[in-house]
Amino acid sequence: MKDRITETGAKNRLDRFDFTGETAVRVEGVDLYYGDFQALKKIDMTVKKHEITAMIGPSGCGKSTLLKTLNRMNDLVEGCRVEGKITVGGRDIYAKDTDLSALRKNVGMVFQKPNPFPMSVYDNVAYAPRTFGVKKKDLLDEIVERSLKQAAMWDELKDRLKKSALGLSGGQQQRLCIARALSVRPQVLLMDEPTSALDPISTGKIEELCEELKQDVTIVIVTHNMQQAARISDKTGFFLLGELIEFGETEEMFTSPKRPETERYITGRFG
Amino acid sequence: MDNTLQKTQNGKRRINVSKGKEKTVGALFFVCAGLSVVAVFGIIAYILYASVPAFREYGFFQMLFGAKWNTERGEYGLLTMLVNTLVVTFGALLIGGTIGVFTAIFLVFWCPDRFHLRYEGKNRALRRIARAVNAINLRTVFDQVIKLLSGIPSVIFGYFGVSVICAMIKGMDVYGIGKGPLASALVLAIMIVPTIASLSKNALEAVPQSYFEGALALGNTKAQAVFRVVFPAARSGVVSALILGVGRAVGETMAVAMVSGGRVFFPEGLFTPVRTLTTNIAIEFADAGHAWDDPLRSALFASGFVLLLLALVVNLSLNLVPKEYKGKKGTKQLRGQGGEAVYRKKGLVPEILKYAAFFMAALVVAVLISIILFILINGIPHLSWSFLFGPSDFSHPSLLPAFISTGYVILISLAIALPVGIGAAIFLVEYAKPGSKLVKVIRTFVDTLAGVPSIVFGLFGNLFFCKIFGDTYSVVAGSFTMALIILPTIIRSTEESLIAVPASLREASYGLGAGKARTIFKVVLPSAFPGIATAAILAIGRIVGESAALIYTSGMLVTTEGSAVNPMNMGATLTVFLYMCWAEPNSYLGFNQAYATAVVLLLCTLILNFAVYLIQRRVQKKQKR
Repeated sequence: MKDRITETGAKNRLDRFDFTGETAVRVEGVDLYYGDFQALKKIDMTVKKHEITAMIGPSGCGKSTLLKTLNRMNDLVEGCRVEGKITVGGRDIYAKDTDLSALRKNVGMVFQKPNPFPMSVYDNVAYAPRTFGVKKKDLLDEIVERSLKQAAMWDELKDRLKKSALGLSGGQQQRLCIARALSVRPQVLLMDEPTSALDPISTGKIEELCEELKQDVTIVIVTHNMQQAARISDKTGFFLLGELIEFGETEEMFTSPKRPETERYITGRFG
Repeated sequence: MDNTLQKTQNGKRRINVSKGKEKTVGALFFVCAGLSVVAVFGIIAYILYASVPAFREYGFFQMLFGAKWNTERGEYGLLTMLVNTLVVTFGALLIGGTIGVFTAIFLVFWCPDRFHLRYEGKNRALRRIARAVNAINLRTVFDQVIKLLSGIPSVIFGYFGVSVICAMIKGMDVYGIGKGPLASALVLAIMIVPTIASLSKNALEAVPQSYFEGALALGNTKAQAVFRVVFPAARSGVVSALILGVGRAVGETMAVAMVSGGRVFFPEGLFTPVRTLTTNIAIEFADAGHAWDDPLRSALFASGFVLLLLALVVNLSLNLVPKEYKGKKGTKQLRGQGGEAVYRKKGLVPEILKYAAFFMAALVVAVLISIILFILINGIPHLSWSFLFGPSDFSHPSLLPAFISTGYVILISLAIALPVGIGAAIFLVEYAKPGSKLVKVIRTFVDTLAGVPSIVFGLFGNLFFCKIFGDTYSVVAGSFTMALIILPTIIRSTEESLIAVPASLREASYGLGAGKARTIFKVVLPSAFPGIATAAILAIGRIVGESAALIYTSGMLVTTEGSAVNPMNMGATLTVFLYMCWAEPNSYLGFNQAYATAVVLLLCTLILNFAVYLIQRRVQKKQKR
């Protein structure tokens, strides 16, 4: 399943990321500071290809922060400093010559609140391909259709592609954002509490979607909802006060956690 | 109005919920609010009434579409002036709109917080200087630059236009003068930049941060995210800003009068002399007869009426701007984007636009600095004690009478407009049902009043207030006219500061049994005080800078002869004095005196801006606590 966007403007950049191996993302000894405050302490974590990795933990534990270091969205925060090594597709993404747009093209992101642009559904999905130089109408049409199908909303939206995306329901908006992220065929998809602003039915749809997307992309998801982590993820990491307390198979973590903090959190005794 | 707490015979306090009194107070506020509606209708009706003789004689459409204006032959076609107004405004919009919008983009997205000077050497003084420079908040400085530019009186722009801009472009003019459509458009462009920049800035800041982040997460560079997502999302606000800029350009009189050349010709090139609707009134009115049906006078009112219609159309078109998108939570923090980020494939167009934004912002700063330097260098040598405060007569005019007149105008117009404006704002916020038809109607009229060109206010004041106060020019008539001009500003900013008072404060007061009027006067108004004070200072700035509305209401008299002390007589304010140095120069009153006066006015503007800055900084500090 390759489409032409990977072959248009992005070819020479794409080969710098190599996703043929087992590992999609590797985090090695990462410390992160906001000014003087240390938000992440010596994090080590490996994300395997075609798996869903969930990150759980109480508010302010650093899980979203770690997620945002994976596509360098943390660069936006002033005074943010990252030490250690993060490799995505075999490349150190904090190396000086990292091409941010190639990185973010390979590592897509879905935010907590749906943030479709104030444009039509079509323009939203076509936005990123256009950024990367796709101009042909039929190619764009193809990408939009493929992305919306991948996000399981082609049938819902095919008749309203020209309508404003802001008129969609919250759940639809969020799935549109997923489709938008998928438009450039990312290898990794970061999801920052993607269902926390949605109702249970929309949440269910997105969880289903994640299961399906697993074949194509590697998903890292931050969630506040432990059941969600248990339902959809293969691996789970538990964070507390900037430390990765425990990381392993989801089933194991929820049935027989190794660390007492993890047990207390998943049984609801703090957090 | 102390109607809530009274002592009863046994000494206990009793709450007097006198419904009748409450109603009276409410009715009073309603009257204040209604006054702006009355004012708009009054202005339209009076000016139309005064143009009737001209319309009757020449026909409305003949005036509107007749191209010939010749007062000696009794030809009063306004088409030429109308076309000139549109051409000059369009030019100003093209230049000033571009500069203003790009400056706003720079300010919101790329203006750094502070300098990052590094000095590790041993020299203590240098180290201290570096630290002091680094402590300057550049965004605040830039905000102040724009506010200062908007506070400079328009006549000063006129002098800057005549002496600097015309001098710069006259090389391209075959006659070597430089006046005409190009000079007018350039001067107007500078004047509308602050309006457009500050309103566009608000619109850009209202765009949710999530759009910006969303675009970056899709691999956009900052410039791509800004120009392809954030800016389009702010377009309705930017369009409104441009329309308000057009309104300002259409109504501007004095600066254009000085650089347009003043002749009634169609624009045949960049340098042919032209005359706009506003300048036509300013130039010809002094020659018009006093009788009601004097043909020239009536024709000038007619051109005022056309101008008014034009302004109304511009203003009403604001309502046509689609409000498809309303930002809920905006941002002021679109920065960061680590220094060593590498984008191999930057979009070319967004990159070019980014550097355009840098360039335009630098241009704005350069223009402000050159205006200030131009005034100071030319003006300071001619400042003297006797020119400022000495006795004034025809051979030795001093600024003293102008100071006194200006003081009178400020005092009287504030004394009228402040109570009425605050009352109107109280009605809109505290009494009327929020979002009701009535509120919408009144707001529309307040905005309409704000969009009326000041020369039209001048015509109205000449018709109405000058008639009332002894059928002659007088400082009082000028003050009443100014009161009308500053009323919308006061209503709007008071309204905003009233809305900002938290509802919990009102509830607490009601919870203690206080009535509505008491709550408003004792709780709401004190918390809104900084906002109201700001409004008053801005109003003073407007009064000090205004000239078009005053020349034919408070008159152009510069000598004391015992007269300027009495506000029932005529007297020129500082800005009018400045205008006279250009309009009626003689051997005692010319450019030298003008520059000296401009220094004084510039100082006033600086002080007023600084006062506003201090108040706002204090409010912000309080909010942080």
